[in-house]
Amino acid sequence: MKQPTYNMESPAAPLVQRNWWVYLVLILVCLVNFVPYLWVVMTGFMDGASASSATPAWFFTPSLEAFHYLIVEKGIMKNFFNSVIVSLASTFFSVTIGMFCAYALARYDFTGRDDVSFWVLTNRMMPPVAVLIPIFVTFQTAGLLDTLAGLVLLYTAMQLPFVVWMLTGYFRDIPRRYEESAMVDGDTWFAAFRKVTLPLMMPSITATSIFVMILSWNEFAFATFLTSTQAKTMPPAIMAYSIGADIRWNVLGAAVVLITAPLILFVLLLQRQLISGLSQGVVRK
Amino acid sequence: MADIEIHSLMKQFGAFKAVDDVNITVNDGEFVFLLGPSGCGKTTTLRMIAGLEMPSSGRIAIGGRNVTFLRPRYRNVGMVFQDYGLYRHLTVFGNIAYPLEVRRLGRAEIVQKVEAVARTMQITEVLQRKPDQLSAGQLQRVAIARMLVRDADVFLMDEPMSHLDAQLRGQMRAELRHIQKTVGVTTIFVTHDQLEAMTMADRIIVMKDGEMLQFATPREIFERPATEFVATFVGEPQMNILDARIARLEGKIVAMTEHFAVPLDADWVARNRVADLVDQPVRLGIRPEHIAIREMPDADHRIVAELYSFEPTGAENLYVLQCGSVMVTTRSSTTETAHLSKDEGSALAARFDPNWIYLFDPATGRTIAQAAGSDVSREDI
Repeated sequence: MKQPTYNMESPAAPLVQRNWWVYLVLILVCLVNFVPYLWVVMTGFMDGASASSATPAWFFTPSLEAFHYLIVEKGIMKNFFNSVIVSLASTFFSVTIGMFCAYALARYDFTGRDDVSFWVLTNRMMPPVAVLIPIFVTFQTAGLLDTLAGLVLLYTAMQLPFVVWMLTGYFRDIPRRYEESAMVDGDTWFAAFRKVTLPLMMPSITATSIFVMILSWNEFAFATFLTSTQAKTMPPAIMAYSIGADIRWNVLGAAVVLITAPLILFVLLLQRQLISGLSQGVVRK
Repeated sequence: MADIEIHSLMKQFGAFKAVDDVNITVNDGEFVFLLGPSGCGKTTTLRMIAGLEMPSSGRIAIGGRNVTFLRPRYRNVGMVFQDYGLYRHLTVFGNIAYPLEVRRLGRAEIVQKVEAVARTMQITEVLQRKPDQLSAGQLQRVAIARMLVRDADVFLMDEPMSHLDAQLRGQMRAELRHIQKTVGVTTIFVTHDQLEAMTMADRIIVMKDGEMLQFATPREIFERPATEFVATFVGEPQMNILDARIARLEGKIVAMTEHFAVPLDADWVARNRVADLVDQPVRLGIRPEHIAIREMPDADHRIVAELYSFEPTGAENLYVLQCGSVMVTTRSSTTETAHLSKDEGSALAARFDPNWIYLFDPATGRTIAQAAGSDVSREDI
């Protein structure tokens, strides 16, 4: 059937042109957010002299001097890969474990379910710094100081409440009917979960994973205290370049590029999933 | 294909008895309805048959096999859920093929079976679409197709038509009944819509508060209700129920309401020992179609009432009459009542057909006396 060519529009719909000021606001917000970051990135590609010059220049000859210094002389890629390993591993573990916790909280009725659910939430209420010293002592006793395994363990534990809390809500939005219908059709519970519930949960799980990964990637306080040479991640490593009497701005800029680039690429690649995941359950049919 | 036997089935949620002592035997190939208001335990009963809920006590057997505590996958039942339970992430084909894939059938066989059932349900054109691109009627067909595609022993349907509009529902009723009889698989259908149950069922189980009130054919449910609740739940508009007292008036046994006496059939009074109830309160029931009305009172039409409201429904007219504090609804064909006044407040005379009067026990709600007209010994029944 041929589609009618005329444009159907409700007379009450606002004209598109009337919304020009929305774009103005958006541009303003983007500028405020983007210009400082752009400046940092530009600084990273300057040489030492132009970076610390009193009159900043928009146009300059790009130089990889700072990156060379960080990667070759300081070996920052070791910290970079530490960060990659720690954030990927802790995301994987916290999302996998959290998924099952969330499923149980969303689907099953058991004594103390609401208490468990609230206790999980309270874990996020406490400022992490409050337990820094106890955790340090625990890690020392367990021999986990300055190990990647220790950080993975800690980050998994730290992110679990968030994962459980996010996913419980999303699981509740998926009607139990789907699994029941699969089970009546002859599936086991786990097969029904894997083939029916998980595909429906994928956008939400992806969105949660992205959040968790960003949090783990950026974690600073514990990484600073619990690592020294072997397991040091990016945030504490970069910290070293921003203290001291003589700050080398181009080195700091390059370090910022190195720590933010993976996140930006990651979010750009997955933004579609991120948005659809966040809006799950919000838009109801 | 199989029969279903349910023996003293009980389900408790905490202190609440959702299903209490249900006993049902469904014959092979029968189309049985679980009918009742929401919260009466009909869906819980169905879910226990499917294995989605485990009974607190009792026994369920399908085809002679005890399945009481088996998981759903070992029962070989097909089910349609109220909101269809179709998978959003699969196409219609994928949805219908799902139960076959679970059984690891060959690809060719799956395609052949899905296409065959799609033809039966007339959904061949939408096989490649996703469920969110379908209309409510199509979703319903897909859900039924998914149930039909397997060789299930028993079909279970949980209010599958509640999301359809009235017109589509009418069509689906005839179609579903036809399919059930063609396929010949024992089917249990849950509904709160008495019309659905009356039009499609071989037999109906009426449930209320977890208890089974009556298990009988639609005609018997309608004409010989076991309780006042069954009598009022089935039939539209519902049966008139009046508070009355059995009395002796001029040597005859009558039912006295607050404002008028209702003459009773002498044979019926004798057979049902209504005379024993003299001076006792009863609940008198009569269906709207068994009340005749005319303009002026005469020897038969002795009850004088005022027209409270007039509701034409096309072929039939509903007259709601008021006599003091008593309200009764009557139903008669438009041609017969064409000459009657339709103005609210005008006076009319009514006659209760003594052949179709029911008596209910006000304390227990049970039927004391079935209407004389419904007597099974009568020839025309």
